Amino acid sequence: MISTKYTVKQSLTKEEIDRKWWEVGDYFRRNSLWLLMYCTGCCAIELPPSMTSAYDMERLGMGPMATPRQADILLVSGYLSLKTLRRLVYTYEQMSEPKYVVALGSCPINGGIYHDSHAVINQLDQYIPVDTYVAGCMPNPESVLNGFVDLMEGIKNKTANGWKKYHEHNEWYKKNQKDVLGEVAIEDEFHQ
Amino acid sequence: MSSINNIDVIDQVVLSLSKPLLKDVIDQHQVAYELEQKDVFNVLSALKLKGWKQLSYLSAVDWPNEVKFEVVYILMNWEQPSYVQIRTKIDRNQPVMPSVLAIFPGAKYYEREAHEFFGIHFPGNPEYEKPLILERWDDIPPLRKDFDPSAYSAKKFPSRTYPDSFSVKDENNKILEKKAEKRKRAQNLRTGGESS
Repeated sequence: MISTKYTVKQSLTKEEIDRKWWEVGDYFRRNSLWLLMYCTGCCAIELPPSMTSAYDMERLGMGPMATPRQADILLVSGYLSLKTLRRLVYTYEQMSEPKYVVALGSCPINGGIYHDSHAVINQLDQYIPVDTYVAGCMPNPESVLNGFVDLMEGIKNKTANGWKKYHEHNEWYKKNQKDVLGEVAIEDEFHQ
Repeated sequence: MSSINNIDVIDQVVLSLSKPLLKDVIDQHQVAYELEQKDVFNVLSALKLKGWKQLSYLSAVDWPNEVKFEVVYILMNWEQPSYVQIRTKIDRNQPVMPSVLAIFPGAKYYEREAHEFFGIHFPGNPEYEKPLILERWDDIPPLRKDFDPSAYSAKKFPSRTYPDSFSVKDENNKILEKKAEKRKRAQNLRTGGESS
């Protein structure tokens, strides 16, 4: 029997539908994050205890991923030399969107103990956008996992939007990369 | 064969071909000689024939006050484990050292590295000027003593600035006094008030 009660016919705009689908997508995405571990520095030593049974990253739905194109998170663990930054930008641009960057340790924040080195950059967020910083030298596994939980909150609250910033301010990032690297091109005499 | 004899064998080889300016026995497995530049090639090839087949390391030390670079070769013998270090001083303003590529083919990469970090020229090595580690370097070689890494870093890498309110203000170091008090109290609890 057809109800006689009057209801307003709801028509959603395209933006609203998109937003709802993104919310659904973000729900599933933040519960199954795949890490691309770019173990540049000493903070990489904190990852084995975070991943294995002691702290068990798998319970947050996170796991390691081998290739940049299939990964969600680019995990920069430790200091970045200029030479590594060149490869890192290359890797970041290969990743499919949405992509998030987590930086471990104090070196990507302000240079850490390498603040006066001729080879190590001081701030990572000048070159690629960083969503979550985990401070410490080195951060212990609890902090690392706390950083990942913060990232999940950020995805939920739509504050982890570094990949959008990379589109919006692309020229600024490219200019900074060019200032420090000259050119983001990789030459490797042993693989030519 | 004991290792003491090893040092004697090295001594024989080096003294028969050159007059070392300095000999430095570090322990029974390691010995160092400082030679004149013209003797280095002969001594290295003689040592290689005697069994010091591996060039473990080739690098340089900068002595800006003497206006010298010290080139260091470290050789290793696998049969009777012992290291020989051959050092020689060359002019710092015209740093040229003939390549030892003919004796040790592995020196190719060490010489490229030494050229990159100190600016020493190695005629005889066809590609010593090719960059090995640094990419697109734009300053004087970075391991020279007159290179200032912190000035370079300040010039090239922007550093983060923090507002004044960022750091915790504790001008009279009250926190240290509090910590000392706490430590004292804990010690009193442990020892029952008796000072150790």
